[in-house]
Amino acid sequence: MMIDQKNTTLVLGLGNDILGDDAIGLLAAREIKNKFPDKVDVVEAAVSGFEIMEILEGYESVLLLDAVVTKLHPPGSILELSKEQFENVVAISPHYMGLPDVFRYAEKMKIPFPKQIRIIAMEIEPPYEIIEGLSEPVQKSLPKFIEKGSSILSELLHNNSTK
Amino acid sequence: MKQIKIDPITRLEGHGKIDIFLNDDGEVANTYFQIPELRGFEQFCVGRPVEEMPRITTRICGVCPEAHHMASAKACDAVFHVEIPPTAKKLRELLYNVFFAGDHTTHFYALGGPDFVVGPDAPKAQRNILGVIAKVGLEVGGKVIEMRKRTQEVIKTLGGKNTHQVTSLPGGVSKGITEEERKQIEEHCKWFVDFGKFTIQVFNDIVLKNQAYVDLILSDMFSMKIYSMGLVDEKNRVSFYDGKVRVVDPDGKEFVKYSPNEYLDVVSEHVEPWTYLKFPFLKKVGWKGFVEGKDSGIYRATPLSRLNAADGMPTPAAQEEYDRMYKTLGGKPVHATLATHWARIIELLSAAEMALDLVRDPEITGTNIRTIPTATPTEGVSIVEAPRGTLTHHYITDERGILKKVNLIVGTTNNYAPISLSINKAARGLIKKGTVVTDGILNTVEMAFRAYDPCFGCATHTLPGQMPLVVNIRNKDGEIIQEIKR
Repeated sequence: MMIDQKNTTLVLGLGNDILGDDAIGLLAAREIKNKFPDKVDVVEAAVSGFEIMEILEGYESVLLLDAVVTKLHPPGSILELSKEQFENVVAISPHYMGLPDVFRYAEKMKIPFPKQIRIIAMEIEPPYEIIEGLSEPVQKSLPKFIEKGSSILSELLHNNSTK
Repeated sequence: MKQIKIDPITRLEGHGKIDIFLNDDGEVANTYFQIPELRGFEQFCVGRPVEEMPRITTRICGVCPEAHHMASAKACDAVFHVEIPPTAKKLRELLYNVFFAGDHTTHFYALGGPDFVVGPDAPKAQRNILGVIAKVGLEVGGKVIEMRKRTQEVIKTLGGKNTHQVTSLPGGVSKGITEEERKQIEEHCKWFVDFGKFTIQVFNDIVLKNQAYVDLILSDMFSMKIYSMGLVDEKNRVSFYDGKVRVVDPDGKEFVKYSPNEYLDVVSEHVEPWTYLKFPFLKKVGWKGFVEGKDSGIYRATPLSRLNAADGMPTPAAQEEYDRMYKTLGGKPVHATLATHWARIIELLSAAEMALDLVRDPEITGTNIRTIPTATPTEGVSIVEAPRGTLTHHYITDERGILKKVNLIVGTTNNYAPISLSINKAARGLIKKGTVVTDGILNTVEMAFRAYDPCFGCATHTLPGQMPLVVNIRNKDGEIIQEIKR
């Protein structure tokens, strides 16, 4: 995916806006965009693998927002995940490269990749229905998700400015 | 009865689950391939204006939005009874061929190819594009990245956006290209053709020069003699964007050739109690269960079946490779499931050559790019070839163009029965009495379905959450006697 890069920090909201709770990353990215006008680039995308790599390329820092199904937490739970957590995870997919492969591939190919990658995700039920709108627990957690994302983003911007 | 379970379900990717049931003697009793189905798409669409469909359908799937965009735009043309201008058709087809070349690249290098390049018995952690690079060098990784960048750039120019395209609409396209844009696209297309030839060479050097791989491709457990389906042009050559659907029988003889609006006369759907997804089959042959042969209505809609169903390729270098494939594999049709990878890269080359021809067409920079629909909308069916199989869109509207009914048969759904059958054959071929089920054996079973480039969920992306693949082997009482995590 090609984007017009204007800033060095990116907010990437991942999700599908017609797949119920899966839209949570996109909705949060939209709100965060309003809070940080002109300071960050905000991209909404429903992509994976190579395309994520292509979006991240060239940025110094990235906040990634998404939905996740771990089945370990109740829907609406907010999880912060680190890139390092995926180091030993092998992506299993007949069709996509998972994020761990993306990170490794970028490193191997010496692609200019963000030094700071922060990931927050909200636990959702597996979304198997084409529908617009969020479920109650996810809707209820949206403000906290935005708050958490904004706080991390402030840190990223601060780190960039003090370098 | 023992149960071996291959459960690669991660979060939104719509993955399936493979259950292999063993009998008391340790031989395969049965296999089941289950898929989570996305529900509610028809209800979501009904009541909306049909002209919104080319933009809505791209959102069903993050993997092949271009295929849905094109199928949807063509179905809208049919609903409004409008013939699109030649320049519009060529612009759509140019975008589509570039997309095809890019999508096939991803599958070959990142998803299906590693099985061959790195080897089916290699540890799971190496069976990916990194393993490919480790084996064949960084140069390949760089070329794959460049191929993707260039295809994305062309798709963005032609489609308005590179993920959810917006330019195709009822009656044509909303945006043409300038001479300057044409020249840039032409440079990219020349590069795509070279990349296609390079990929053929990679396959030749790594797969075809390794007798063990050739033997695996031609082995009985990966062979399945069933009907082949694919879109063909007026000369019965492979076509991705437009044409009629041709089906040949297991001997290669034409069984039927039909226009998109006749699809319901040809294809029907079978229901099994253990899965929500239906199994399309050829109506006139009938559903005879998961069996091969001329009397079974199961068909494939894959790169290999497209080549089997056609008389040739529309472009010269791809035609040369087409002839070489059939000569090498013992004539036409080929039923070796793993040869689908070879067919896929022949299509990659063909799509690149086709795109180059189109961008050099004098009409491509024309300004007559849309016929404004004036007829009362009614009903329309369209068919394109998605990279992973024949894709049908069928819309029925009221006189205002408001959708009353929507039916889609997506690429992989066509292949649900053959994939199930392929898994069954591979499992039976590999797991015998006393076999110790290893990671390599299970991966070889998975190769049977990976060859189809399956994409079931039409879901979108993937973040963290990948779960390790867990394989449970259970005794007849359901207790786990062996657990394999990979």
